[in-house]
Amino acid sequence: MIVRFWGTRGSLPVAQTARTIREKIARALVAAKGRSFADEAEADRFIGEELSFAAGSSYGGATTCIEIEAGDGSFILCDLGSGLREFGLDAMRRCAEGHERTYNVFMSHVHWDHIMGFPFFVPAFDPGARIVIHSGHADAEAALRRQQEEMSFPVAFDWLRAKIEFVTVTPGTVYSVGGVNVEVMAQHHSHVSYGYRFTDADGKTAIFSTDSEHKIEQMEGEADVAHFFRNADLVICDTMYSLADSVSMKEDWGHSSNIVAIDLCHEAEAKRLALFHHEPTYSDEDLERMHRESIRYEELTRRDHPLDVLCAYDGLEVVL
Amino acid sequence: MNWSEEIRNGTIVATPRGRVDESTAQKFADDLAAGVGRAAEMPSKRLVLHLASIEYMSSRGLRALTLAKRKADAASVRIALAAPTDIMREILAISRYDKLFVVSDTIDGAL
Repeated sequence: MIVRFWGTRGSLPVAQTARTIREKIARALVAAKGRSFADEAEADRFIGEELSFAAGSSYGGATTCIEIEAGDGSFILCDLGSGLREFGLDAMRRCAEGHERTYNVFMSHVHWDHIMGFPFFVPAFDPGARIVIHSGHADAEAALRRQQEEMSFPVAFDWLRAKIEFVTVTPGTVYSVGGVNVEVMAQHHSHVSYGYRFTDADGKTAIFSTDSEHKIEQMEGEADVAHFFRNADLVICDTMYSLADSVSMKEDWGHSSNIVAIDLCHEAEAKRLALFHHEPTYSDEDLERMHRESIRYEELTRRDHPLDVLCAYDGLEVVL
Repeated sequence: MNWSEEIRNGTIVATPRGRVDESTAQKFADDLAAGVGRAAEMPSKRLVLHLASIEYMSSRGLRALTLAKRKADAASVRIALAAPTDIMREILAISRYDKLFVVSDTIDGAL
């Protein structure tokens, strides 16, 4: 199983400004201390080995879209955020090389940042493509059609050429889709959200759990969440806020924290956690600090099984 | 997880001991809520939580602190955290709970 992150930002797409890029270049030049590089490959090694991730790269700014490569060769996607545009272009390239043109999509929910990529999804214009959108929401089709109404977008949903189907899924049921078993869990979020547990034929398991608030008055229910995450090879988890923010100013905004995610993964004895759905106001430095602090919290509270804590970024590929 | 209390200068100083995780957080929350109730009956209306014997506190324990603070706020009781271990101080900083609670180096500083 390979998990590719095409969009990792929460709520709103983020773009780097000219000033941010200049600051990164300036810091890299200072760090290089006058060194010369024979070619771009050598410079790239310097960036990878001697600069921090925030200094030499970026976590990116596209909203939620994750690809899970597993099963029978059809595409498996989680959410249709703005990262879908880039995925769609890459998928067209792969389809030109013979990849199957079926897209199995699993929706956490239909809020704006999780569907905004669909009008820009090139495979939706491919008459040979089949797009099957699975959602716990019976109104998923209405949400996608609504954002392509004339007042919002110039290309109507009915102009799309792919065969588009909608399947409503139910928590507690195990589905076999694209050669992968999929379990569904309802989550606390405005208009409800759903988490998914994907298990391939080799037994590799990835969890997609975003836009999920773990309510302070319902902590006893977290045993069910830990069970859903049980022994997962990778848990992709909403870690948008600090714990303090999630229980104070941003309570009831529908999101979780790095601290709760780590605790749940420890309880579940999961192997890896990907911090995900990043706060759009966070800079790369903010995210890197949050990642560093999360690793430290994991060390401080670790029990028998270490948890590898990753910070998801646009372009990250995790092989399970 | 053990819990003990003493009165210092008319203020309840509560000392929890051990690890606060998902297996002990409910007892910690219950003890904390009861402590807030007793502090509401005291003239000082203050509760000092002495953290020197807490090995670590997971999010369940931290969130129990928030629930206790809500109860305390409703009863005009102030909760102060005192003498956290280095590990607890780190956890309070990482969770940003040091922004929600006053944290003192010593019990005397919290009184």
